[in-house]
Amino acid sequence: MALTVLRGGHIVDPATGQDAIGDVWFEDGRIVERPEGRSADHEIDVSGHIVMAGAIDIHSHIAGGNVNTARLLLPELHRAIRARLADTPLSTAKWSSYETGRLYAQMGFTTVVEPAMAPHHALQTHLEFNDVPIIDKGALTVLGNDDFLLGMLRDGETDGAINDYVAQTVENTRSLGLKCINPGGVEAFKENMRAFGLDDVVPFYGLTSRQIFQALQKSTQAVGIAHPLHLHMNNLGLAGNIDTALATIDAAQGLPLHLAHVQFYAYGKEGKNGFSSAGALFAEKINANKNVSVDVGQVMFSDTVTISSDVLKQFNSLPGAIPKKGAIFDGDANGGGIVPYAYKISNYYNAIQWAAGLELFLLIDNPEQVFFTTDHPNGGPFTTYPELFALLMSADLRAQHLARLPADVLEHTTLPSISREYTLYEIAQMSRSGAAKLFGFVDRGRLSPGAVADIAVYKPGRDVAGMFRRAALVFKDGALIVRDGQVSHYTRGKTLHIRPRYDQRITNRLDSYYDDLYGLPRSIFDVPDAALPHKDAFAEVPCRI
Amino acid sequence: METATLDGKAIALGDAYKHAAKILSGAAFPLVAGLGADVAGARAAILLAERLKGAFDHLASRETLADIDVKRSFGMFTTTANEARLRGDCVVLIGPGLTRAWPGMLERLALAEPPRRGAQAQQPRKVIWVGPEGEEANAVPGAKVIPASVQELSGVLAAWRARFGGRPVALGAEKVALIDDLVERLRNARFGVFVWSASTLDPLAIEMMQGLVIELNATTRFTGVHIGGRSGASGVTQAAGWMTGFPPRTGFGRGYPEHDPWRFEATRLVDSGEADAALWISAFDDEKPAWSRADIPLITLAPAHTSPSRGLFIKVGQPGVTHDAVLMSQETGGMTLRKASAPTDAPSVAQAIGAIMAEVSEGAWR
Repeated sequence: MALTVLRGGHIVDPATGQDAIGDVWFEDGRIVERPEGRSADHEIDVSGHIVMAGAIDIHSHIAGGNVNTARLLLPELHRAIRARLADTPLSTAKWSSYETGRLYAQMGFTTVVEPAMAPHHALQTHLEFNDVPIIDKGALTVLGNDDFLLGMLRDGETDGAINDYVAQTVENTRSLGLKCINPGGVEAFKENMRAFGLDDVVPFYGLTSRQIFQALQKSTQAVGIAHPLHLHMNNLGLAGNIDTALATIDAAQGLPLHLAHVQFYAYGKEGKNGFSSAGALFAEKINANKNVSVDVGQVMFSDTVTISSDVLKQFNSLPGAIPKKGAIFDGDANGGGIVPYAYKISNYYNAIQWAAGLELFLLIDNPEQVFFTTDHPNGGPFTTYPELFALLMSADLRAQHLARLPADVLEHTTLPSISREYTLYEIAQMSRSGAAKLFGFVDRGRLSPGAVADIAVYKPGRDVAGMFRRAALVFKDGALIVRDGQVSHYTRGKTLHIRPRYDQRITNRLDSYYDDLYGLPRSIFDVPDAALPHKDAFAEVPCRI
Repeated sequence: METATLDGKAIALGDAYKHAAKILSGAAFPLVAGLGADVAGARAAILLAERLKGAFDHLASRETLADIDVKRSFGMFTTTANEARLRGDCVVLIGPGLTRAWPGMLERLALAEPPRRGAQAQQPRKVIWVGPEGEEANAVPGAKVIPASVQELSGVLAAWRARFGGRPVALGAEKVALIDDLVERLRNARFGVFVWSASTLDPLAIEMMQGLVIELNATTRFTGVHIGGRSGASGVTQAAGWMTGFPPRTGFGRGYPEHDPWRFEATRLVDSGEADAALWISAFDDEKPAWSRADIPLITLAPAHTSPSRGLFIKVGQPGVTHDAVLMSQETGGMTLRKASAPTDAPSVAQAIGAIMAEVSEGAWR
């Protein structure tokens, strides 16, 4: 591939500390030093533009059986309206895997992590990834409600055995790490429990949520997974659940822990509705605990659908579904619940949620400790990120929104008092350098020589959201795939995964377990290369150790 | 047996692909139908339909859409066969022919064995079968059999739901007592499971059953296992879902997908003349199209032993038999790779359509 230089742009690259006018050179899909004695084959003048690495979304439900159920459940949510352009099949098929790739690329995103892959449904997630063009993908494997793990913990097995199981599962499902969703709570729901807190006990296993996630947290570190355990805590969405969140951080014992969509846990019980923002309190706790990272799960006012493997929570949400329908799937371990919902600016509770999310963004000091998700599509679709960035970058814009909220909301959030405005550098810390660090990516989220040439170029203007929605240029692996916010053609991204080491004897033990319990070969759940349409679908990311 | 024929006469495979591409790209509104294929075949077929601005349908769409219609208008509770096997203490089989729709059902659900999880572990499993056919009535030792015709199934479910809610039904006292006894068993289940196939239930009956599931879940746990349609229907539906957002019976005439179960039904499209060419895919068992018109150009992809006397025929292999294939597995409820049991070099549906696609002008995404 030709030697290319992007000339004279404003480079914003926190990984190297750059925030100045400069050039970016790349060749053969990688960023390079300016070569001595050679001139560029292509020189592109990007003066007056912002140049960043391609963005990384660390938590977005873009693939897998639960997402597909949501598609089939809600045909009315995604009627297509526009014919596609040449060379981009199905790119305007709304909510299709193809459209997902196109829309992310147009915003300058080049890597996206699907955070909830059930081990027994991993192949479908990977098949869907295969049909998400352009961007690179990765997934987190869900454990923590599975009988094998809970049985091991109940029986007091050694850390070594648990580590082998964790590593084998991550390797075999071809993911980037582990997620734990309402640990033990989903199993408890199958035993007809309707609420499950941090110290409630899973029937027949005698384990608490606390014990389960602590074990997985330790194991994640021990087997060298770069990404800390990604935890979906108990009591999501309930008034007063800030107590759960604070207690969970205390339970982390100083070990690395990522808390998912924390906005949904930032609720106090103040006011006549018994529902208030505890965003400020939560942010203070996060600032004091550097071992914890969070993504926000910002609510953006829109019609959407909640997709979660927290089946207990989703079952409890059914009566509030908008429109009134839903799907509840008691899976082999976690399963899933799909419940449509509409967040309205006129709704007191939704407005508190919106404010609490922004408080978390604005009161957490370190932009590499907080990530910008909407928990797509749970708080709103990923296509609202540009509006979210604009809100973070403008106190005036927030004030305009605040004026439209129900008046009593303002008494139960500190948002009106916050004047902080994110800089572009901080946006890039959150969406590039910090996100890469969080997954141990050493060659993305940065523009230094050797990094993948995933580059987003934006044209600044008064419309900040518009700038982020339609990148002026996007390069994926050095290939120009977006110009003036329009995808010109598809490329095929990779699926990123890690291969932690483990003692092979766990595999034999699992073979016997599946044979005894299900009467099925364990391999029926495998993700073999031959099952995917393309041999080069995967790219390995090194483990931490 | 030739690998490709035109009106019954052998032609070279390369010529067959060219001819197929010519027929399909020359049509104003071509139809991709049957769609009896593995996931790779479905993927290729849907991309072809999109490229041609045609439509696609699956031969078992009536059944698939019965379940999906209930899901998208009302909602649905489901579980995996494995969870039913491990936890189901009260398993209610609804309708005849379940063992035909799913030959491995009795073994996979381990109906003759006790469940293994929860307080119900090692307690005898209660099995109730409403309206079994023939030998099915004796298939599960100790099962309670409630005779009912297919036509009566809706009424049975309605009566159960009414009595569960304490509402009167227009039946004799003896029958009401039997129903009340049965409803009590459902209420006392710890993890109850309905098992059904949409081949014998209409959407209203499925909705009635799912309505009862929701009401049962107010106090206990109850869910369902649905048996997918024939010829790879479940896997094709999943692929259609992520590729277009919609299940089969979707058209691309406007350059984007539109789903309409009436408008894009294959038989209607052909018989009405709206479709002016058809690609019929039936790689599992050579099922024939249900339409009556014989005057539109037809391309058949099937593993036939005798080539059709009319139209273009290209012989393809059978998924999971002659080639490895990803299929939705009824026993796990997830996708799995089935290794070929008797490999041959017959092209798969995906390969055959890939060869046709290569002859269609725009550069293909495959």
